[in-house]
Amino acid sequence: MIEVKNIIKSYGDGESRFQVLQGVSLEMEDGDFVVILGASGSGKSTFLNVISGLERPDSGEVLYDTIDIAALSDNELTSFRKENVGFIFQQYYLLPNMDVDRNVKMGADLAGNKDYRTVIEAVGLGEKLHKYPSELSGGEQQRVSVARALAKKPKILFLDEPTGALDERTGRQVLDYICKLKNKYNFTIVMVTHNGNIAEMAKTVVKMNSGKITGIYRNEVLKTAYEIGW
Amino acid sequence: MMIGIKNASKLVGISVISCCAVLVCTMFLNFYLDISSIEDEITSELSLIFYNAQVSTAKVVCLVSGGCLLITSVVMLMFYIKHYIDTHKKELGILKALGYSNLKIAVNFWVFGISALLGTAVGFGGAFLLMPKFYALQNEDKILPEIAIRFHPTVFLYFVVLPTVGFSLLAIGYAWRKLKKPVLSLLKNDFRTFVKTKKYREEKINDASFVAYLKKTTLRSKKTLTFFILFASFCFSSMTQMSFSMKELSSEMMGAMMLIIGLVLAFTTLFLAVTTVMKGNTKTIAMMRIFGYSQKECAMAILGGYRPVSYTGFAIGTVYQYALLRIMVDIVFKDMEGMPAYQFDVPVMLISLAIFILIYEILMAVYSDQIKKISMKEIMME
Repeated sequence: MIEVKNIIKSYGDGESRFQVLQGVSLEMEDGDFVVILGASGSGKSTFLNVISGLERPDSGEVLYDTIDIAALSDNELTSFRKENVGFIFQQYYLLPNMDVDRNVKMGADLAGNKDYRTVIEAVGLGEKLHKYPSELSGGEQQRVSVARALAKKPKILFLDEPTGALDERTGRQVLDYICKLKNKYNFTIVMVTHNGNIAEMAKTVVKMNSGKITGIYRNEVLKTAYEIGW
Repeated sequence: MMIGIKNASKLVGISVISCCAVLVCTMFLNFYLDISSIEDEITSELSLIFYNAQVSTAKVVCLVSGGCLLITSVVMLMFYIKHYIDTHKKELGILKALGYSNLKIAVNFWVFGISALLGTAVGFGGAFLLMPKFYALQNEDKILPEIAIRFHPTVFLYFVVLPTVGFSLLAIGYAWRKLKKPVLSLLKNDFRTFVKTKKYREEKINDASFVAYLKKTTLRSKKTLTFFILFASFCFSSMTQMSFSMKELSSEMMGAMMLIIGLVLAFTTLFLAVTTVMKGNTKTIAMMRIFGYSQKECAMAILGGYRPVSYTGFAIGTVYQYALLRIMVDIVFKDMEGMPAYQFDVPVMLISLAIFILIYEILMAVYSDQIKKISMKEIMME
């Protein structure tokens, strides 16, 4: 279980100091599918960075069961990310001089996962094992980044606008792969998006505005990627 | 336009190397020209042998040092221009899209020749400052008649004017060649498109870890940087060991000069090469850190591959300095009386190696520590 307590995060100094997160608190169950919804500048990406251990809050606690990751040292935080967390970004950030196999191995090696090629197969890229990122379409590149994140067997998968750079059809396809793999491996998903329709796929929807949570609701009936509007 | 003196100032490596090359070559070539003018005044056989040895030394030093350092400077210039174009692809693409021709953009690269001008001018001036002492040492026993220092415009032309013009033209030509790409390929974000894909396609899958593979890829992807690191270690090894032998074979001044040149060349080249390696891999390091790779693993993947390269450079430098001194003693100065016997100095080699390992590992530790400072936001801010 992830418990976030009264997180405050600011950027800048002096007069230009700006509070991006203004005392955010939230609870997420294991295996949950949480979508953090908000407009640009609402603080949703900063919130994702803080709860995933990429950034430290100015104050507040981020508890994973009993461990407060905000209080961990740099090395402990690295170790925490290694053992618990997977990331998928809008821009994929694949290593350009490595093929699909090696890019996924980057994640797999951290978990000692020798069987990582099954994940590559699962995202439909078994035939493109030796293709380089520049030889793949945007959707395929994002699927490689999905495979890379899942090959390290994370307990929680953080996604920052994973479909932001994709067209509608490809975006749905990527989301569909993620949902299928979630059902298979049962990890927790925390996804940041500005696309309200994607929220219909999630169990828990958190709405953010101006650095605050403005609403939390749960979907009783979950839609698939192909059932939502775009 | 977009390339200015500020960009040329980053080519400090070329300035340092050309300064060292011109310093050494000017001293020896000027000496050669001045000593040639007194050939008719030589009457004794001993003087003639000494004269011939001095002439041969000047030629060998000019050719070996000058040639070696010239090649390194040219490689470094090309590397920097390619690096500049790679990191400014978008801006150059926009210029091309606006209608600027390749040549019109490339002409702006002439400013890179300023780095050569700066280095050669300092080297040339420095050589003339050191010349009185150098001439006195070369003829310490007064075997030859008095050798007067003269200014030879041809030396200035060869070592200052021509390198500056040559480097400017080379920069323009190389940039022009590199800019001959479609506008779209320049405009696209290089992070996703610049890969040389075909080269490694045939490679069989092996079970090497990601870190080991990245180490290999980093080393292979920038061969020029590998060359610079090899060159830096080579300079350190050959020049430090040679400087100790020179103290006995020639003079303390020659030894000290060699040591200083060796250290300056080695550290400048190593510093520039490793800094470029780190900058070029910032995104990879940031991504590895995000995924949970430790600082040590990142350092091993990015910098670890260069360790064997630098030790190989040290070994080559050791062999090179031994061979060069052997040739000088056994061939060039073979008829000289009172020439001390030359033996390979094992203690000096071991001390040089120990100092080299110590400095190299400290430098790597400093760079490794910088990995901690690479912000993971670096990758997210795009």
